[in-house]
Amino acid sequence: MSSRASALITRKQELPLHSDATGLFLEIMISIAVFLFAVTLAGVLSINSMLSAWNNSILGSLTIQIMPVNTVDIQKSREETLLHQDKVVEFFKSLPEVESATPLSDDQLWALLQPWLGDGINILELPTPRIIDVRIKHGEVIDYPKLAERLIDVSPLASLDNHKLWLNKLINFADGLKVLAMSILVLVVAISTGAIFYTTQTNLGLHRNIIEILHIMGAKDAYIAQQYAKRDAFIGFFGGVCGLVFAVPTIFMIAHLAAQIEGGIINEAKLDFFSWGLILSLPLFSALIAMLTAYYTVKRTLEKMM
Amino acid sequence: MFFSGVLILFNHATIGEPAIIEMKDVCIRYDQGPEILSDINLALKRGSFHFLTGKSGAGKTSLLSLMYLAQHPSRGILNVFGKNVNFTDRDEMAILRRRIGVVFQDFRLIEHLSAFDNVALPLRVCNMNEKEVKKRVKELLCWVELDKHMYDKTSTLSGGEKQRIAIARAVINRPDVLLADEPTGNVDNDIARKLMKLFIELNKLGTTVVIATHSDKLITDFPYPRLHLNNGGLRIYEPRDFIRGV
Ligand SMILES: Nc1ncnc2c1ncn2[C@@H]1O[C@H](COP(=O)(O)OP(=O)(O)O)[C@@H](O)[C@H]1O
Ligand SMILES: [Mg+2]
Repeated sequence: MSSRASALITRKQELPLHSDATGLFLEIMISIAVFLFAVTLAGVLSINSMLSAWNNSILGSLTIQIMPVNTVDIQKSREETLLHQDKVVEFFKSLPEVESATPLSDDQLWALLQPWLGDGINILELPTPRIIDVRIKHGEVIDYPKLAERLIDVSPLASLDNHKLWLNKLINFADGLKVLAMSILVLVVAISTGAIFYTTQTNLGLHRNIIEILHIMGAKDAYIAQQYAKRDAFIGFFGGVCGLVFAVPTIFMIAHLAAQIEGGIINEAKLDFFSWGLILSLPLFSALIAMLTAYYTVKRTLEKMM
Repeated sequence: MFFSGVLILFNHATIGEPAIIEMKDVCIRYDQGPEILSDINLALKRGSFHFLTGKSGAGKTSLLSLMYLAQHPSRGILNVFGKNVNFTDRDEMAILRRRIGVVFQDFRLIEHLSAFDNVALPLRVCNMNEKEVKKRVKELLCWVELDKHMYDKTSTLSGGEKQRIAIARAVINRPDVLLADEPTGNVDNDIARKLMKLFIELNKLGTTVVIATHSDKLITDFPYPRLHLNNGGLRIYEPRDFIRGV
């Protein structure tokens, strides 16, 4: 078996496949395909990591807002609001899923409001809402609608804002983007295999004479198909490497641009070790696809020949 | 049912060894053109030697191409090594072809390959290991006195040299059947006689031989039966018929 395998590698190729123009065309085509594939794949993988980070943040915490009690007396309003806050904190602490419930201090609230209100304003003199940061125990899932109902009983001023609303929208958008990107991936593979199919067919026509001689000498279709498969495996691999050479800097550039967007949303879009491994192994996949496509194209086409 | 089974057995027993190449009412046509050969009936026994004659365009090359399985008959039954080619799949056909050596009229060498690689072809297509290939091909190329040109591109060689490569390629795999299409067409009498001697040697070793030719000299010098094509039909002449005819 190993001697047969080595014979396959060192074997003389009767078909002059290395010197013809279709090879160069295929190599350029595959490098473009792998370039597109790599960049799109990087996009899909980043969206994925972003989605899982967002999903985690939805799972991990929620924010409760308590509206200020509406009275003319600011001091009284503040005290009554704080009472509501204490009740809500108590309620959350009593829940088994909750790890902690921490009201934001005056300083923290001020830090949040300061950008809108500007300097020189004392929030103690304003009817300000209070905020409670609730952390959920790891792995626990909260039934938000039910919780919201119970919360109203505890305090009508409290409202549940778990980022879920806007994050949900963002997640849906990202999911749509992901589907789009994945269909681009499928399309790129389909177009490449189509191109390999047609160039291989053309090439078979070009070398019809030699193929007929090989057949008459007793070559099985597989013998001829192997010569094409071997060539296209090399073309697929080197085309793939060329594509990566352009794709990797492009991915870094896009990542750099994305990192400049404020808000930290995109910061979650990190490519991990596994993702990079996948992207860098693309030439192996392009080699495999080119090889199999060539092999089966030859087998199918020869069946209609002598 | 039972009786027909017995009949088939009986039939086989009476026929004895089946012919190596057998044609029953075989016709050849190209695309939608007229039939070039019609209702050919023929059975070549193992170890036989035949000339195939007929005017240019009579269909010699076409008939040979049926025998080396480059095409199917457009009608009729062709059995090669006892297999009906109409019911033989592609891989099996390849295996059958390995038992047939062919010398083409125009040699049909692969021009960008060396003499060595051309002769090695029939061995490599059946995945013989390269060491054995080397040994056999070198031996045979020495024998046809082409060892000096072993690694030269075929396209740089002369017509006579190409012919020797073509013959070496046809016999390298020790075929059961050797088919030669006008092998003496482009060579002088001396070489033609030498070639005939080679074919006769191979025939003595058991190879079934068919040689297409239009050389009267060859036919009169060597007393072998003759398959003669004329007007799309085939007639078989035993050597004594022919001599009587002269
Ligand atoms: N591939 C082909 N396509 C169409 N016609 C062919 C083909 N090969 C041979 N013919 C025709 O078949 C006839 C017999 O040709 P061929 O077998 O080459 O005769 P020969 O070898 O006796 O000279 C000729 O009329 C030729 O034109
Ligand atoms: Mg001819």
